[in-house]
Amino acid sequence: MSAVATPARPTASRQNSSGINTRIVNRIVIYGLLALFAVFYLMPLFVMLVTSFKTMDEIQNGNMLSLPKAPTFDPWLKAWGETCVGLTCAGIKGYFWNSIKMVVPAVLISTMLGALNGYVLTKWRFRGATLVFGLMLFACFIPFQSVLLPMATILGSLGRFGVTLQNDVGTSFGLGNPTVNLVFVHVVYGLGFTTLFFRNYYEAFPTELIKAAQVDGASFFQIFRRIMLPNSMPIFVVTVIYQFTNIWNDFLFASAYAGTGDAMPMTVALNNVVNTSTGVVEYNVNMAAAMIAALPTLIVYVVAGRYFVRGLMAGAVKG
Amino acid sequence: MAFLEIDGLKKRFGNVEILKGIDVELEKGGFLVLVGPSGCGKSTLLNTIAGLEQITEGEIRVDGRAINDLHPSKRDIAMVFQSYALYPNMTVAGNISFGMEMRGVPADERQKAIDKVAKVLQIGHLLKRKPSQLSGGQRQRVAMGRALVRDPKLFLFDEPLSNLDAKLRVDMRIEIKRLHATTGTTIVYVTHDQIEAMTLATKIAVMRDGEVQQFGTPAEIYNNPTNLFVADFMGSPAMNLIPATIATSGNALSVVLQREAREPITLPMANAPAGLSAFQGKPIIFGVRPEALTDPEGAERNASNIATAELHIEVVEPAGSDTFAVTNLGGKGVVARLRADANIQPGTNTPLAFNLTKAVFFDPATENRIR
Repeated sequence: MSAVATPARPTASRQNSSGINTRIVNRIVIYGLLALFAVFYLMPLFVMLVTSFKTMDEIQNGNMLSLPKAPTFDPWLKAWGETCVGLTCAGIKGYFWNSIKMVVPAVLISTMLGALNGYVLTKWRFRGATLVFGLMLFACFIPFQSVLLPMATILGSLGRFGVTLQNDVGTSFGLGNPTVNLVFVHVVYGLGFTTLFFRNYYEAFPTELIKAAQVDGASFFQIFRRIMLPNSMPIFVVTVIYQFTNIWNDFLFASAYAGTGDAMPMTVALNNVVNTSTGVVEYNVNMAAAMIAALPTLIVYVVAGRYFVRGLMAGAVKG
Repeated sequence: MAFLEIDGLKKRFGNVEILKGIDVELEKGGFLVLVGPSGCGKSTLLNTIAGLEQITEGEIRVDGRAINDLHPSKRDIAMVFQSYALYPNMTVAGNISFGMEMRGVPADERQKAIDKVAKVLQIGHLLKRKPSQLSGGQRQRVAMGRALVRDPKLFLFDEPLSNLDAKLRVDMRIEIKRLHATTGTTIVYVTHDQIEAMTLATKIAVMRDGEVQQFGTPAEIYNNPTNLFVADFMGSPAMNLIPATIATSGNALSVVLQREAREPITLPMANAPAGLSAFQGKPIIFGVRPEALTDPEGAERNASNIATAELHIEVVEPAGSDTFAVTNLGGKGVVARLRADANIQPGTNTPLAFNLTKAVFFDPATENRIR
């Protein structure tokens, strides 16, 4: 017995130690690669951040990667309140608020409509529901550029209708206003995605709850508001983050439909700041302006990021 | 006139007929159990009563009023779902009072109703919790509370106990029976568990393939099954259904059961049903419940027609309260139910008593009862 057992032991321990060694090597490779990619992705952000706190002298005479010798907030203040966007020199603050005014309604409306669509497509199935959903999915694959002109025509017609209303009724109901136009475009364009998210989430939502609420006497919208919405927090956060980043970062629609004038959103304004062709290029101000433009999406990710992954998984696994 | 009447109810999905003409009625305060194997249409029937499914043909009346075209909330019914379907975002109290809230009952009345129901079901300490913080049995109670609080004309239960473990299921079964006895409500209850059906019901409808096979009291269903399916489905262990032939000995008919490697058993039938004489020399199915096949000492004393035969015991299963012995007759395993302390050994030949008063006969071709 013991003669058999004794030689077995060293073999086992040798296997163990070599197993531990490979595991350590694996770890080193994995973490090394991850660190490498992290550096690769964080480098531009780092350069932006340090440059935005430097003076112009330091930028012109120093190393791009070095930390600022005397950190200064002046570039940030200048970007916010003084820098020139095109011909007006009042900083980017006005355009920042323009973006907020456009993004918040666009995100909320498209998310609510997506939730409603998902609710109908899963819990109030009608003849052809699958086809309708398929067509809505199709909207996710239409390239932005292909709708620029047709959408411009539609917005033009809406604008003319707005003028008519203004003359006849006394108010245009916002038709023809560039901000309203952008909200409209983003809602229409986001609907495919928001519907997809909510449909997949609600597909796994127990139908017996809807039946129970029906027996309890709740109406279509009461069920939606009291039962569906309170139980869709994860997917709601996912959709809001997704829509917020997309709409906030959009440049194409913004420049096409609100590229000039007072309603210009942040992305277009930032482009105009950076593309200025007069005088010295103020890299520190440009970097600060770019950081300000990126802040809202960063904040949204930091605040709600953990829901993002969780919600995506929930939709993916059960959908 | 019955309280709940279902007349010629049919339900089609496209070309597929799910319910093929259901006729059932239930008196006020009755407990109707719809029982059958999965896919027999029992849940669909319940959903049509609830109004969650539209019917294609027929009529459903409650208390003389046709309800089949009304919205679920207008039918004055309450339903307990298999998954309990508690709203996860609301507290227990919110769950119970949601229906009242939807009907615009003032807050103080809602509170009174919640307290009353919580007292009946002993869930007062749970009212502020969310459903995710409750155990299975507690969720079950809350689901019943949500139904009870409405004080409806009709309660619908859709397999409410199937998600509970065995012990809790028995407890809740007794609870439901007690609730029915104390509140006197009218209940329609769906289950695939024939023991639940037997213990709870005042009326049972045994269903298969969208048809009611037999409708009657539990005793009728158990003792007088109309066909092979009902005989086989109801009862645990199931009724022994033994292929046999009918022979004549003098004036009386007798049942002949084949045995392996031995001469057949002949059981004289003193009180054979009238229809049986037409089957002389023909194959039939002889049905006898396990408790009607027992040791001679344990046989019912006042049964008029008992025949004893020596049978080869293959397996003995002591189940605590009873002992089950398995033998072979007509090429099928046959279960006998004996007293717990019966002295019986596998592999021996033991005399067993057939209680022929309880025996039933079926036509193998039509599967119907021979009466």
